[in-house]
Amino acid sequence: MGLGATVGADLLAVPFPKMVFDLARAIANGQTALDRASISTLRVLARTEFDYIPEITEVIAAGPVDTINGVPVTGVDVTTRPGRTLPLSLLQAGLTPSFYQFTESVIEVKMSISSKVSTQSEFEFGASVEANAGFLFASATVSSHVDYRTSNTYSYSAEGSSLLRTTLKPVPPPARMMPRFITVNTLVSPPQVTFSE
Amino acid sequence: MNLDGYRMYLITVHGGLTDEKSRDLQRFVRQCDGFILMVTRAGPVIALDEGRHSLVAGHPLVEFMGPVELNPRGFAAQQLQSIMAENLSKQVELVEPVGGDPAPTS
Repeated sequence: MGLGATVGADLLAVPFPKMVFDLARAIANGQTALDRASISTLRVLARTEFDYIPEITEVIAAGPVDTINGVPVTGVDVTTRPGRTLPLSLLQAGLTPSFYQFTESVIEVKMSISSKVSTQSEFEFGASVEANAGFLFASATVSSHVDYRTSNTYSYSAEGSSLLRTTLKPVPPPARMMPRFITVNTLVSPPQVTFSE
Repeated sequence: MNLDGYRMYLITVHGGLTDEKSRDLQRFVRQCDGFILMVTRAGPVIALDEGRHSLVAGHPLVEFMGPVELNPRGFAAQQLQSIMAENLSKQVELVEPVGGDPAPTS
């Protein structure tokens, strides 16, 4: 198998579909947990009541007249009378739970693959010639040798890192989760009906 | 003081709120650089850095802690805002920014 095929196989080995699935599942679980927490907050806000006093009437009236050193000093009496209390929940008063939503998710996979092939060859050639000559004969010997050595070195390394990043942002509460307040004011004629959320 | 990472939370207390529990919890919130915006029958509404949420949520007195927001269309939203602003102003220390103009002296 060539090096190109190995690199390709390594790239294919990145479990990208699994990573996407795991991230999506984690986001879904996280979103559910966040929504549940927000609904719990909504419940607490709805059942925490307090007595709201919309109006306090202060009546300023002339008080008893005192005479100090022969000078009459007019006193003032201030009578404070709170109006009718109105039981309100914190939700009605104006506190709402925060809702969060995952708005953006990024999976970043980085791979660094390096391969190196080095080939080393050695070639050696040698020859020796030997000649003898006598009165009636002559001879010659030729010998030679060839050495050839080759070695291939392969090195291959693959490194990978992955980054999962997701953004969480506060969003307005879902319309169906928040109650709509219908106020009927019977103090005016005809009664006035107002809707608010 | 930088309040960028601060969010508003409603806290409920285990076994109902008493003066002593309320004081203990408020003291702890202040130790965590949080602020008490108001106190309800269930527990305090606080402003706290998001990064310290788990610290306060893990306090033994805390039963539940959830992020809340002010709904400007609420029946008493303006009053709630005034109460919170007043309480916050008593706890936030106003510091002159570095390099800023010195405060006028009379």
